[in-house]
Amino acid sequence: MSLLKVEGLSKSFKGLQVLKNVSLEVEPEERHIIIGPNGAGKTTLFNCITGVLPINEGTVSIQGKMIADLPSHTRVSEGMSRTFQKNNLFGKLTVEENVHLAVTARKSYRFKLFKSLLSYKDMQQESQDLLKEWDLWERRNQTVDELSYGEQRLVEIMLAIATKPTILLLDEPTSGMSPAETIQTTKLIQKLPRTISLLVIEHDMEVVFSIADRITVLHHGEVFLSGKPEEIRNDQRVKDIYFGGGALQRAEA
Amino acid sequence: MKKMIFPAAIAVLLLILPVMLTSYGIKLTAEVFIMSIFVLSLGLITGYAGLVSLGHAAFFGIGAYTIALLGKFVPNTFVLLASAIIFAALIALLTGFLFIRSSGAYFLMITLAFSQMLYAVAYKLKGVTGGSDGMSVAASLDFGFGPISGSMGLYYVMAVSVMICYVLLRMFINSPAGKAIIGVKENESRMRALGYSVRSYKLLAYTISGGIAGYAGGLYAFYNYFVSPDTLNWNFSGQVLVMIIIGGVGTLFGPPIGAAVFVILQNYISSYTERWPMIMGVIFVAFVLYGRGGIANLLLLAWRKISRRQKEINSPALNSSEKISKDETKGVTEA
Ligand SMILES: Nc1ncnc2c1ncn2[C@@H]1O[C@H](COP(=O)(O)OP(=O)(O)OP(=O)(O)O)[C@@H](O)[C@H]1O
Ligand SMILES: [Mg+2]
Repeated sequence: MSLLKVEGLSKSFKGLQVLKNVSLEVEPEERHIIIGPNGAGKTTLFNCITGVLPINEGTVSIQGKMIADLPSHTRVSEGMSRTFQKNNLFGKLTVEENVHLAVTARKSYRFKLFKSLLSYKDMQQESQDLLKEWDLWERRNQTVDELSYGEQRLVEIMLAIATKPTILLLDEPTSGMSPAETIQTTKLIQKLPRTISLLVIEHDMEVVFSIADRITVLHHGEVFLSGKPEEIRNDQRVKDIYFGGGALQRAEA
Repeated sequence: MKKMIFPAAIAVLLLILPVMLTSYGIKLTAEVFIMSIFVLSLGLITGYAGLVSLGHAAFFGIGAYTIALLGKFVPNTFVLLASAIIFAALIALLTGFLFIRSSGAYFLMITLAFSQMLYAVAYKLKGVTGGSDGMSVAASLDFGFGPISGSMGLYYVMAVSVMICYVLLRMFINSPAGKAIIGVKENESRMRALGYSVRSYKLLAYTISGGIAGYAGGLYAFYNYFVSPDTLNWNFSGQVLVMIIIGGVGTLFGPPIGAAVFVILQNYISSYTERWPMIMGVIFVAFVLYGRGGIANLLLLAWRKISRRQKEINSPALNSSEKISKDETKGVTEA
């Protein structure tokens, strides 16, 4: 059974149809990449899958369980987690406080009223492991606003992983990063355990091909093509779309 | 250990303060304590949950009227104060459930409307509440050691109450739920993406805040032995909002400082001139324009300067101006 299944999803904003009958699946352990020119509807698709936006038609399910009607935050307990294309963090809090919030999100004690959060050793340990893993340990006492853009992008991913997802949605994880940071981040993503299936929106073709098990091309809100990386790489029509949108030029340069 | 010195010093100061005050000063300080509890409650939702209410007097008034109305039948102080807290918290829970969907200016308006509605009810129900004449409180403040009515006795009840509320709130904002509430204020959409139920946490903060405000109102009923619809008026809600802005939004110790400054100035200035509201208005505008972060922030900056100088005296070699400037920008969020 697929881990995440989207079927016949449609979404429009005040008459403007942004997604048309989109279907896609993410299998357990799979790393599935979505590509497509600017405005294709990729971020909107993420917002529909995660429940940030209500959908007009279609179904979304995790391991067979229908989730399209669940409020956004409860999907996290179904194992879904996401990052944002534009950094969406707790800017005035320290990096450590950001991780603490993320790690605590799925703990049974998240509603405890009077015991200090810092007294929970499991939370402290998990936070420390994450900070070290994502190379942000040295930065832990700085506010997120004080970090470089690339470091903030890493925090973005780290927070999503802190909720221990089984399906992780990354929206352009390397956008705005320097080439060195992009390489570092790609490696970190590759190193993620296979127990976390990935659905990733990405423009950088080098990143795409070094992560993808499968690629889906979204164009004008429709699934244009879906297949193995080699199939997509050699497809003339995909190249045409990208030359039209201008994104592949950037990637091939 | 070092962290405890400051609060301990304040506690000792509050306990010995009456020795240095006239009986009028003692009575006035007791009122400051009641207002401090009230502003702590409003400071919780405004400074930590980001909910700006212009109707918080509703819960203060509910607490006060609970004592006045129930006091005729149940003379027990513990039962009465507990009822004031529970009743106010319950109304906060119910109204919060409806109001918290809206935010920003809408939340401000709807809380204002609700408190004015209660005001109108207290004003119109002459048979029950005495209408605009208000009603006197029949029960006396008695914790089992005999009735407390002198200014000294009231002072200590209020002083201990404000300390307890402060400590409980300090514990609360450091708890998992408290930290989540801060997270909600900082970034709702991220909290939702992490799996937090944003509404539940706002409702939790609102309910706790309502309960504390109810406690303050209950104490006020015992302090004054008289309750009037003014305790529910938007005018009063506006005043406490001014207090927390002067004192410092987003800190726990700022609002009580604001309450102290407000109540004391109000008392002294209004005995010299009738222009008190105008003078207060000017002070308020000055803080909004130039004193972001209120008195609490000014104190923090001063404290940093002093401790920096201390450090420089202790270790002249260590002169990292860069680190200090970073400390300063961090101050507001820390406190
Ligand atoms: N909240 C909204 N209201 C109205 N229109 C929207 C909204 N969000 C997105 N759109 C429109 O939907 C279309 C798809 O936007 P979306 O952000 O999903 O594209 P994308 O594929 O993520 O693009 P990019 O590569 O630039 O991130 C765009 O035309 C956009 O203007
Ligand atoms: Mg996008």
